[in-house]
Amino acid sequence: MNNPFESSHVPQPEGNPFASAGALPQTEVLVFSGRGAEYFGIWIVNLVLTVLTLGIYSAWAKVRRMQYFYRHTTLAGAAFDYHGDPRAILKGRIIGFILLLAYNASFQFSLIAGLVVVTLLAIVMPALLMRSFRFRARNTSWRGLRFGFGGDSRGAYGVFLMWPALTLFSLYLLGPMWHQRLKRYQFDNARYGATAFSINAPVSAFYRVYGVAVAVFLLGGLAIGAFVWSLARGNPSAWIAGPFLFLALMLFIQPYLSARLQNLVWNSMRLGPHRFVSRVSARRLYAIMLTNLIGVVCTLGLFQPFAAIRLARYRLESVTMVCDGSLDDFVAGQSQDVAAIGEETADLFDVDIAL
Amino acid sequence: MSTSRSEPAPPVAALYFDGLSARAHAVTLTLDGATLHLNGADVSRSDALERVRLSEPMGQAARLISYADGAHAEVRDHAALARLLQDSGHRDHAFVRWAFDPRMVFAMFAGLLLAGWFAWQVGLPWAARMAAPRVPDEVVSAMSTQALGWLDNRVLTASTLSVQRRQTLRSAFDALAAGEGSAPRHSLQFRHGGRMRANAFALPDGTIIVTDELVDLAGDDDEVLAVLMHELGHVRARHGVRMLLQGSATALFMAWYLGDVSSLLATAPTALIQSGYSRSMESEADDFAARALVAQGRSPELLVSMLEKLARAHGESGDDGEGYLDWLSSHPDTGERIARLRAREFAVH
Repeated sequence: MNNPFESSHVPQPEGNPFASAGALPQTEVLVFSGRGAEYFGIWIVNLVLTVLTLGIYSAWAKVRRMQYFYRHTTLAGAAFDYHGDPRAILKGRIIGFILLLAYNASFQFSLIAGLVVVTLLAIVMPALLMRSFRFRARNTSWRGLRFGFGGDSRGAYGVFLMWPALTLFSLYLLGPMWHQRLKRYQFDNARYGATAFSINAPVSAFYRVYGVAVAVFLLGGLAIGAFVWSLARGNPSAWIAGPFLFLALMLFIQPYLSARLQNLVWNSMRLGPHRFVSRVSARRLYAIMLTNLIGVVCTLGLFQPFAAIRLARYRLESVTMVCDGSLDDFVAGQSQDVAAIGEETADLFDVDIAL
Repeated sequence: MSTSRSEPAPPVAALYFDGLSARAHAVTLTLDGATLHLNGADVSRSDALERVRLSEPMGQAARLISYADGAHAEVRDHAALARLLQDSGHRDHAFVRWAFDPRMVFAMFAGLLLAGWFAWQVGLPWAARMAAPRVPDEVVSAMSTQALGWLDNRVLTASTLSVQRRQTLRSAFDALAAGEGSAPRHSLQFRHGGRMRANAFALPDGTIIVTDELVDLAGDDDEVLAVLMHELGHVRARHGVRMLLQGSATALFMAWYLGDVSSLLATAPTALIQSGYSRSMESEADDFAARALVAQGRSPELLVSMLEKLARAHGESGDDGEGYLDWLSSHPDTGERIARLRAREFAVH
């Protein structure tokens, strides 16, 4: 029939569309086909069923949300897919909820109880986060092959316990270094099928990105302070403008960090012989995030699904895969089942493990 | 069934992946009764339709036909697939159809709003009423102390009434309250109202605060006592605790909705201060005061007269109070309350 692979029967080894490019590397863009109006339906049905079941449906809701985003993401003609088991996710959410409750309640009880719980969490969380990486990777597939994560607990305690502590003790001076170690742990241990990812982003690049953000923050803060102070001399009510300007400054810095870090990570990542190019513009991201925020606030949250789609489209479609050789050559790795507990706990404790 | 046999649906183009390598095989799918056939240049398989899993439709996204052995096929020609499946009896889950049916989405949305409104108007007050007796006294008194401290820091100042005057009022109030039989734990405190002006309010732990301005406004102590009995009515029915619970639950929801749970503990005492009593709570406290007054041989007119004076005092300055557990800021308007008290008085006599 209309077979795109058979129709071009020129001298092509194995009917492979990518091999024909020869020495010239071929690029494949990520395409995102999700639509806000469509996702709104999924979102509202998820929300209503979650409310009606007192939160139990949220695990199934998450699977449908992930599937919507993954299946609408296409690379080289094939879609991604999410395979998380809702029952595993529900189990994880219950454990996460109990941990969150223990954390919030213990300090009400006594300082010692609080410290005991925090210590326990510090011991448990790295292992949970490691599992969450594994669960997320293991349940993502493309072209029928699963992704995987092989990070060990030694590394997890390094990036989730030792480095945060060092960052705190160094008054955040080691923060960018921690971030670099985290990304290295995340991607140097990741694989697609049997093919390993690797990342070689230097620490200095992270310091550069964070350095600019901190400089903008300090200069902007000073400018706001001076501006409000000069206004307030005539009219004390001008002090009110301070917090709003400060908020605007933070809204300005966050998209910058987000854009530059995504570019940094993806541009220094390799999958076997292939590499990636990410071209997120801080200015475009800022425009999208600002309009999203205005939309969400003005609609009391109803714009949220549209906002999520807009953001995902821009961030995903900014990524290109530069292929060196055929994408058909990947083969499956070993498989193993992974519990969802880690991922869901991480969700509840709001630890950002995206990109 | 007969139509499908006479003119079978055309084959559906798909990409097949075997789950062992990333290689894409261009294939076609055909359906023969309950068997799904897959055919390509170097791959072919036939499986019972009930043994494969078909992913739900999601707009433009490819639909995935997953086999038990980890292989799958991606179909992007949705119309052709629908024609193929037409006679197979395959049906998507109800919630899948809902999510893409505008009427269903609208119904869901309306249902959500309705459920939210119902929970807030009926469910929350009911839950607060059930939970109020179970709140530990320590929590109630800690919250009340914090709320009074907040007011003392910002609004209220020490009373300028003479010690003797305060003592007279206190013992008269105690006597009146004791006459009510099972009077709840309570204590009377005097403050200079400042911005709150002529006012009286009860904290959840039974602390009743009356301002100097209210005492001055009253013609005699009996009118002050009538107001205090109204407040005692709130204490007795644990209205303060119920409002505190409702306010905290609302604050918890808002914090979750806006994504900031950490601010919650800080807002609880303010939620208490800013919440007014509901219409039914005011009526309940009025009834309690009227009953107590009548039982002691006094007239509910005392409370009526005080309500009128307070309304005038607050109305004249064009200020309807700032809502600090304010007598007059709550829903039933003064005229309505007075009418109710008078009707009641009529019934009692």
